[in-house]
Amino acid sequence: MIAGLTYPTRRDEAWRYAPHDVLRQLLFGPSVESTRLLPAALEANIPVLEGPRIVLVNGIVDAERSDLSALPAGLRLSTFDDARSEQPELLAAHLENNDDPTVAPFTALNVAFGRNGAVIQVASGHAIDMPVQVIDIALPEATTNTSCTGVVIHLEEGASATVVETKIGHGDFGGSNTRTTITLGDQASLTHIVLQDVAPTQVHLGRIEVTQGVGSVLRSHLFNLGGRYGRVDYDVRLDGEGALVELTGLYFGRGNQILDQQVTVVHTAPDCTSRQSFRGILDDESTGVFNGGIDVRPGADGTDAEQSNDNLLLSDRAEANTQPRLEILADQVACKHGATVGQLDGAALYYLRTRGIPEADARRLLIRGFADQAVDTVNDEILRTWITERLQHHDG
Amino acid sequence: MLHVKNLTASIGGTPILNGLDLDVGSGEVHAIMGPNGSGKSTFAHALAGRDGYEIAGTATLDGVDLLDMEPEARAAAGVFVGFQYPVEIPGVNNMYFLRTALNSVRRARGETEIGARDFLSIAQEAMDLVEMKEGFLYRAVNAGFSGGEKKRNEILQMAVMEPLLAVLDETDSGLDIDALRIVASGVNALRGPERSMIVITHYQRLLDYIKPDFVHVLVDGRIVKSGDHTLALHLEDHGYADFVNHDLDDAPERPLSGATR
Repeated sequence: MIAGLTYPTRRDEAWRYAPHDVLRQLLFGPSVESTRLLPAALEANIPVLEGPRIVLVNGIVDAERSDLSALPAGLRLSTFDDARSEQPELLAAHLENNDDPTVAPFTALNVAFGRNGAVIQVASGHAIDMPVQVIDIALPEATTNTSCTGVVIHLEEGASATVVETKIGHGDFGGSNTRTTITLGDQASLTHIVLQDVAPTQVHLGRIEVTQGVGSVLRSHLFNLGGRYGRVDYDVRLDGEGALVELTGLYFGRGNQILDQQVTVVHTAPDCTSRQSFRGILDDESTGVFNGGIDVRPGADGTDAEQSNDNLLLSDRAEANTQPRLEILADQVACKHGATVGQLDGAALYYLRTRGIPEADARRLLIRGFADQAVDTVNDEILRTWITERLQHHDG
Repeated sequence: MLHVKNLTASIGGTPILNGLDLDVGSGEVHAIMGPNGSGKSTFAHALAGRDGYEIAGTATLDGVDLLDMEPEARAAAGVFVGFQYPVEIPGVNNMYFLRTALNSVRRARGETEIGARDFLSIAQEAMDLVEMKEGFLYRAVNAGFSGGEKKRNEILQMAVMEPLLAVLDETDSGLDIDALRIVASGVNALRGPERSMIVITHYQRLLDYIKPDFVHVLVDGRIVKSGDHTLALHLEDHGYADFVNHDLDDAPERPLSGATR
C-alpha cells in the first residue's frame, strides 16, 4: 500500500455496499506480465469490432492483439509508452491526480501503478467514424492480482469520436482497476461506451473523470455486468457553457454480485444540461447500487438536470439501493430526479401469455424489454447489436 | 365450437359468474351486453385464463376443455381475447412481439415457424386492415399509444393470430367515431365461417357496425336474456333496469336458436 492510504470502510457513503472482505484480498503493485496464455473462453470474449484498438493484458500492452495501423486522419492512438515521449502533456494531466486519496483510494493506486494504457487524441474539427477500442483484460497472477490501467481521451475543439472500452477477465480472484480521463474541447462530441464484464468472481473498479468545454456533448453508455463487485464511478464537470452530458447505464446482476455506480455531475457553467438514466435488473441475491449526485455550483444558472434510476427485481432476495444527492447553489435551475423499484409486471406477463407466449419466454421478453430501453440509447446499429449479443448470456 | 356450461367464477370468495351457459357455433357472432359489474370482463378473462379466479363449470372449444389450460395453451388452442385495457410493454418492439406470439402458437401446434421476411407481409396485410402505418410495428407494444391505437393494435393481433374464437372485451370503449369505424370494419373483415366471435360491450353503438347473430344480456354473472340484434335496440331504449330486477316480461320475444337455453 501507499503511505497514508487506507481502505474505505462501510462508514464511507460511497463504499457502503462494497464487499470489504473481497476488496482486502486485492493485491496491487507494478504490472506483471501474465505467465498464462489467454484461455479460449476469454479469447472468444474479445469483441470483434472493426477499427483501431489497444489491448492490455494485466496492465501491459499486448502488441499482437492491438491494432494501431491505418489510423484515420485526425486520430492519434498511442500507448502510454509512446505518449510519454510524444504527448507528455496529455499523460501528465492524466497522472496528476487531484482526488482526495481518502475519498478515492483506488484511484491513487491506479495513478501509482497504472503505467500502461491508451491515449486517444482527436485533432480539431475531425470526425472519426470507426469506434476506437480499448480492451482491458484481467488475467491475474498471485503476486499482483489487480491490474491498473488508464485511458486518456482528448477531443480537441469541434472533434467527434466514439470510444468503446471493454473490461473482461478470467480467473477466480483479483480483477482490474481502470481510470479514464476525458477532456472535451469546445463543441467536441464523444460517444463513450463501457462494457464491464469481468469474471463473476473478480472485482472491477472503474473511474471515469470528465471535463467538458463550451457546447460539448458526451453520450456515455455503461453496461455494468460482470464481477463479484463491479463498480464504475463517474465524475463529470460541465465547465463550458451549454455543454450536454447524457449518462445511460444498465446493470444486470445475478448470484451474489454487487454492481455499484457512483455518479456525480458538477455544473459549474451556465445553461448546461445533464441526464443520468440508470436501469438495474437484479436476480438471485444480487445487489444494485446507484448513488447519483447533481451538484449545481454558484453561477451555473439555467442548469437543466435530470436523474432517474429504475430497478427490476427478479428475486425476493435481490436488493436495489438508490440514493440521490442534490446540491443546488444557482438560480433558474430545473432539476428532476426519480427512482423506482419494481418486479416484473404481472399484467404484462398475462397479456403476453394470452398471445400464446409461454411464461418463461414472456419473462425473458419483459426483462429484455427493460434492458433494451438502455441499449436503444446507443445510436450506432453495429454497436447496439454487439451489446445485445453480449447481454444475451446474461439474460439466461 | 364453444360450449360454456354452468360456469362460475369468484375472487376471494366473492362470486362474479353464477352459472353462465353459452353456446357459440362456428362463424357466429354473439354480443354480450350488461350493466357495469355484471361479470362481462370476468367472463372474457375466465376464458383467457387469468390467475386469481376460483373457477367451476366447463368451457370447451371444439371439444377441448379450456379451463385447466395455461393462458398460452388456450391461445394455441385458438382463443384470442382482445383486452379492454391493453397492457403497455415498454422496450418490446411491436413487430417482435407479434412474430414471437405467432411463432409460439405455431410451435405449440407443431407447425413450422415463420421467418422475419414472410412475417412482414403477414403483418403488412393485417395493418392495412386496421389502417395502421408501418411505423406502428417498430414502436414498443402499446407504449404511449392513444386509446384508439391500442384497440387497433388488438385487432391487428387478432388478424395475425387468426383465432378460432375471438372474445373482444369492450373494444369500443374510449373510441371516437372514426376509430370505432376502423376497428369495426377490421372485425367484420375477420368474420368467417371458421371463426366465432364474442363481442362484449356496454353500448349498443358498436352493434350498429358489427351486426351480431345473437345478443345476450348478462346480469349478476348469468345470462338472463338472449335474442337477436333487436334485443340490443331494446336495451338502448330501455336500459338494463328491467333485467336487473329480473323482470323480463318487457323484453321482446325472439327465437333463440343457437343461443343459450
